[in-house]
Amino acid sequence: MGNQPSFNELDSLKIIQQMINTAKKEQKDDGSGWIIWGWMLFAASALTILNMQFQWFQTFFFWNVFGAFTLLMGFYEAVKSLFYRKTKKVKTYTKDIFEKLNIGFFISIMLTIFSMNTGVSPTKGFPILMNLYGFWILIYATVLNFKPSMIGAYVMWALAFTSLFVGTFQYVMVLHGLGVLCGYIIPGYIAKKRFNDQNIGQE
Amino acid sequence: MFKELDPILHSQLRLAVMSLLMSVKEAEFTFIKEKTNSTAGNLSVQVQKLKEAGYLDVIKQFKDNYPLTTCSVTKKGIDAFESYVKALQEYLNAGK
Repeated sequence: MGNQPSFNELDSLKIIQQMINTAKKEQKDDGSGWIIWGWMLFAASALTILNMQFQWFQTFFFWNVFGAFTLLMGFYEAVKSLFYRKTKKVKTYTKDIFEKLNIGFFISIMLTIFSMNTGVSPTKGFPILMNLYGFWILIYATVLNFKPSMIGAYVMWALAFTSLFVGTFQYVMVLHGLGVLCGYIIPGYIAKKRFNDQNIGQE
Repeated sequence: MFKELDPILHSQLRLAVMSLLMSVKEAEFTFIKEKTNSTAGNLSVQVQKLKEAGYLDVIKQFKDNYPLTTCSVTKKGIDAFESYVKALQEYLNAGK
């Protein structure tokens, strides 16, 4: 970009618009995080349903595997950020909000899981977890102005409310899996497709 | 009577730097260079001018023996940018 002083007001507007669009790209999410997290939750729900049907292991076996895997991933990320800290080329307000939101979400999830291990019935605990997913998804969707996730958040809440009354854990798992599909997986793939389409268009 | 356009901002590269930094919290020099498609020398001069005008905060430090320059817009910079956009709108409306 040159620096000639003879550019006019329309050129100024074009530069402002172009730079704002460039910065906007930094705030986009390609949906891969939602897809991975969504499939992990979906797999744990589906395998628990099958496990209850065929009695392979103890009921919560696959949730314990999921928990251990999540903790390992969290530990890996923490070590990576502590010892191999890379400075980010750009810091946006959106990324700042998401970082804090993710910490709050993780703590709330852990507290709910802990409560299920100390007396709260899983048939009530999982709807509370779904309630947390819905809250997280709605904030994420609002900041990114991403409608599919907004719809996903409301679907998640509707399913969370329904699962309070279904009684059996197996049905709670069915609704949980359905919620994850609508709240994370489908919006994640839509976000990924839009992200890729935009990147191809800008190349 | 039209407001005069701020001469500090009414320059292609300085305006691009300010517009970019208005949308983010802070950015490294290399990021700004890449996004504005400018040369390091020219960008360095223009960033210095914006800093002297009080529109930018520039933090220079070292990371792994390499210089790391981070820039962010100051409150004065935000006000100046907003006034510039307002003045631009007046010009463009008058031209209709």
